[in-house]
This record gives sequence, C-alpha cells and structure tokens, in this order.
Amino acid sequence: MLEVQLRQAATVLLESAIRIAPPHTRDWGRAMMGELNYVEGPWAGTLWALGSSGVLVKQTIVSLIIPSTGNRDFIPDGGLFARSAALRKAALAIGAACVLAALLFFAAPPFRQAFRVAVEPWHRMYRLAANNHEPDFASLARRAELHHDPEGLAFCAVRFQNPSESVRLAEEAVRLDPNLIWVYAVVILRHPEIREASRWIATLERWDAQNALFPLIAAESMGRTESPPGVWAPSNQDVESAWRAAMAQAFQASKFDDYFDRVAELNRKVVPRYHYYDPYEVESRIRLDLPSPVIEASERFALSLIHSGQDLEAKGDLKGASEQYWKVAHYGQLIDAEGHTAKEHWSGDSLQAMAYKPLKALAEKEGNSTDAALFAYLSSKFNPITGEQREYPGESAFGHETSERNAAVVQVSGLMIILFSGLLVIAISILIVGSRRRARPGVQRAKPVATLVVLTSAVGLLFSSITLYLTYRPYWYIFQTAILNGDGAQNRDLQEFLGSTQTLPGIPHRINVLVEALFYSGSPGFLFYFWAGVTLLGVFGLALIVIRRFLGRPHSKAP
Amino acid sequence: MKTPRISPETLLVLEGFIERPTEWRYGYELSRQTGLKSGTLYPILMRLEKYALLEACWVATEEGVPPRHTYRLTPNGLEVARTKLSEARPRSMVRQPAFCNG
Repeated sequence: MLEVQLRQAATVLLESAIRIAPPHTRDWGRAMMGELNYVEGPWAGTLWALGSSGVLVKQTIVSLIIPSTGNRDFIPDGGLFARSAALRKAALAIGAACVLAALLFFAAPPFRQAFRVAVEPWHRMYRLAANNHEPDFASLARRAELHHDPEGLAFCAVRFQNPSESVRLAEEAVRLDPNLIWVYAVVILRHPEIREASRWIATLERWDAQNALFPLIAAESMGRTESPPGVWAPSNQDVESAWRAAMAQAFQASKFDDYFDRVAELNRKVVPRYHYYDPYEVESRIRLDLPSPVIEASERFALSLIHSGQDLEAKGDLKGASEQYWKVAHYGQLIDAEGHTAKEHWSGDSLQAMAYKPLKALAEKEGNSTDAALFAYLSSKFNPITGEQREYPGESAFGHETSERNAAVVQVSGLMIILFSGLLVIAISILIVGSRRRARPGVQRAKPVATLVVLTSAVGLLFSSITLYLTYRPYWYIFQTAILNGDGAQNRDLQEFLGSTQTLPGIPHRINVLVEALFYSGSPGFLFYFWAGVTLLGVFGLALIVIRRFLGRPHSKAP
Repeated sequence: MKTPRISPETLLVLEGFIERPTEWRYGYELSRQTGLKSGTLYPILMRLEKYALLEACWVATEEGVPPRHTYRLTPNGLEVARTKLSEARPRSMVRQPAFCNG
C-alpha cells in the first residue's frame, strides 16, 4: 500500500515539475519520468523524482531570470503565460485589481501617515546628506514668523536641534505673547548649555516663584560648569554652597511644574493649524524629561539630608531629625504628584522610600507604633525594587519589544511598497513596448516574465500595504488621541515605536549604534556619496539587464 | 570546438558511455552504472547535449508504458571523452597505491 502511494506521490511531483518547467526542458522532464517507471523500490523512486524535480525547478528559475537561456526552440511570446491568452489576461486583471486596491489605501489618512513614517529613515538620510537637518521646521518657523504666530514659534523653539535658532524663536514667541514664558524652561531642559540660561532662569523665578524646577536647573548648571563631563561633583567650596542653597530651595518649594502639559496643549493647537500631522516630528523628535543629572542631584541632596538627620538623631535632636527626613518625603511627594513622566514619578517614589525608612525607625524610638507601622508600609510600598509595581503615567503599555517588532514590520512594508512599485513600473513598460507590432524579439521574449512580475508585484504591493496599514493603525489612534483630545497616556508607546523606526530592522542595537556613528555623526558628504554610489550602481545594473533583454538575440545553437 | 566544463561527475558519465561507445543508453542505467543520482546525472546529460557531444532519441517501449529517452555520444563527444579521460587517468593513477595486496 505504502509502495503504491509513494510511487503515486513521486509521479505527481515530477508531473507538476514538468508542468511548470520551461518548454525547452520539458522533454528532459519526460525523459526522467520515463525512467521513473524502471526505478526499483518505492524510496529509490521517490528520491529519483525529487532529484529530477529539483533539476526542472532550477531550470524554471533560471529561465525566469534569463528567459533566453537554452531557449533554442524560441517561440515569440512563449513561456509561462504563453499557452493561454486567457490566463495572461486573468493575471493582468488580478494585478490591476491588486494595484487599484493598494492605491485606495493612500486615500486613508492612517496609511499616508504610516507610509511617511516608514520612509522617514531614508528621507532623513537624504536630508543629512544635503546638510539640511530640519527643512520642515525651518519652513514652519518661517510661516509662523510671517503670521506673527507666537504659538507656532514656540512649537518650533522647543523642537529645534540648533540651540541658537531655538533661543531666537523662543525669545520672539515670548516677545509676541509673554504668557509663553514657560517655553524658556523647556528650551533650557533641551539645551542646558545656552548662554541665555541664567538670565532666563532669573526671569522664570520671578514669574513662577514657587516652582522647584528653576532651582533644580540652576543647581544642575553649577555642577556642570564645575565638573568634568559625566561627573557630578562641584569642586569649589563656594559653588558647593551655592549648589546646596539651590537644592534646599527646590526641596522647600511648594510646587513642581515641568510644563510638559503645556507642550502637549501647544501641539493640540499648532498641529491642526499648520496641518503638521507628522508623528515623528511632533512626538518623537524631542523626548521631554528631566535630565538625569537633575534626578541624580536630587538623590544626592536627599541623601545628605538623611545623613544630617541621622547625625541630629544621634545627638538626641529627634525633632530636628524628623524635619530633615520630612523635607525629603515632601519633595518626593511633590515630584511624584506633579511630575508628568515615568522618570519623575520613579524618582519621587524612591525619594519617599528613602525618607520613610528613617522616619519609621524614629517613630519606633519614640514608641509610636502606629506611625512606625504606617512608615514601614509606605517605605515598602515606594521601594523602587521591592515595592509595588506601579504603572506610572507615561509608561509604555505595549512594551519595548512589541514597539521594536512593529517598527521593523512598518519599515520593511514601506520598503516593499517602493520595491514592488518600481518592479511594476518596469514590467508594465516592458508589456507596453512589447505590445507594439515592431517590438524587438528581446522585448517579446520578456513579455511572459513581465506578466509574471506584474502579477507577483501587484500582489506583493497589496499585501505590503495591508500589513503597513494594520500594523500602524494603533499608533495612528494614539497620535490622534494625543493631538485632538490631549490624552497623551500612550505617547510613550508611540515614541518608542517611532524611535525604533529610526534604526535598521532586525539588526542588533550595537550594530545600529555603529551604523549611526558611521553615517550620522560623520561628514554628511560621505553619506551622500555612499548613497549616490549605491544608486548609480543600481541604475547601471538595471541598464545592463535592460540592454541585454531588449537588444540581445536568442542564443545560437552550440557547435 | 567548444566543450563544457568537465567535472569529476562528468568524467564518470563519459567513462560510462565509452565502455560501449556505440550503444544507446538509458538514464536509469547510467545512474546505476555511475552511482550518480538523477539530480546530478541529468544536468550533465543536458549540458553534453547542448554542446552536441551527446545525441538523444526516444524509443518506444511496450504498450501503455511511456517511451524512453536514450543517449549516445556523438563522434565529437567520443573524441572529447577520450581526450579528457586520457588527461584525467594519469592524475587518478597517481592517487592509487603503488603496491597492494593481491
């Protein structure tokens, strides 16, 4: 029974291979089939059929790539779609339907946005090559200046990578509308090195006196100017005292406002006004957060307060010790309650945990078991390692891996759309030229392959478009919700996703970093010449193929 | 006269043909004789035929069974086979031991 089935399977396999084989190899296929009847044993027969099918499939693939290969019995317009004009027409009709369906996707705003995101890394490379990093912002800023639109200017000021341009736009925005003075704080957080920082901080402190943010920024700038890069250690005694005074002011402040909610509000107003629906530029270009040195400085100062409290405790000044611990706890509560980012909430939590631990010990020393139990609970709750796993606002909901995977799918889909579109244009051109009566034999020969390319590229185009649309759609919703409703709860997912689309898909992070270093931090000229070289090579290769196809004759019979 | 690339497997096939140079041979028979699988043997036969070193024809068999393809070297093929085999033999002989039991 098994023998019969194996023999039948081998026969079907070889027959199928003969059916798809190019005409000039079908006789060889029949020859192999003829021999199959004499091969002894079911397994040997199967192996014979497998080997023979392999030969025919290889010939089929070769004939698709080089249609004239071994095609001595050349029949014009022969090949896969030659035997049936109906089959050829059906293939072209299916191809046209797929192309039409794919084009319809461009009518959907989420798809247009997805396509823009997918091709953004390549677009960015050419911008870098042209040494024009922010052409869109430059044009937006010009429009805002022309319209004397302070909000448009502020929108650009907080995003510009060029510090001097950022400062100029911020000052112009505040001149037009003094209520936008908070923009100074965001620009300083982005470009802490600017000369205007100290002047602006003084102005901001007069405007919003109780905000802990300004003494924090001032303290950070003192540490930065006194320390080598990457080290936070004021060396000078005077600077150390000034730094401590600024930090003490921050820890005593009654409010903390990073103004990130005002940036979101600005997005809501400016994006629809200028139809600037570019999620990368709006949400991902800047990642608003407190700089790490500010967080580290807060922890360092909190630790010094705890140590000073312990010293007072050792001297028997329990009230003084309690005040020191409570300063840390209050500051932690403030940052946690009024912060907008996961980093700020996390910092607030860890400072509270740091304060509640000695407060618990102090309560035990005072014999206040109720307070001791409460502080023990709070200390354990806010412990960033062993405590409750809180979901901070602004944290990623999808997870980094999902964002990376989706980014890779979007990038590949975008590239596939471009590739299939290019193939379609070439194949359709060949079909149009080949339909003329005076078409060269080379063009006639290429027609069946061109039909196949039209069909497969159109299907590929549609599939890539569907994939791109479905993968990007959730991010489109996040962007729309953030812009239209001001709900930025899932912005982190969008930012992670957009960040991942800026790196090459499927390549480990370290290699991506290397590629970034090679291409982005070096000379833009090098990048331009690299891509120009790749493009020229591609065009040269394509021209060579076209010349061989269009001008080549069928191979003459070998001697 | 153009000749195909002669691989060790092609030499085996030529050797198989040259044993009975005038006879028409079947593919499966050649496969058994040379030990080559169909996936290796047929591309060689196709290449030899392309360079006109081999001629092929169909022979009818019993009723209900498909005809069989048979092969034989052309005069050119015979000449190339003899030349290539004579070139290859001294090299293959070097690899054999000078003395062996029996």
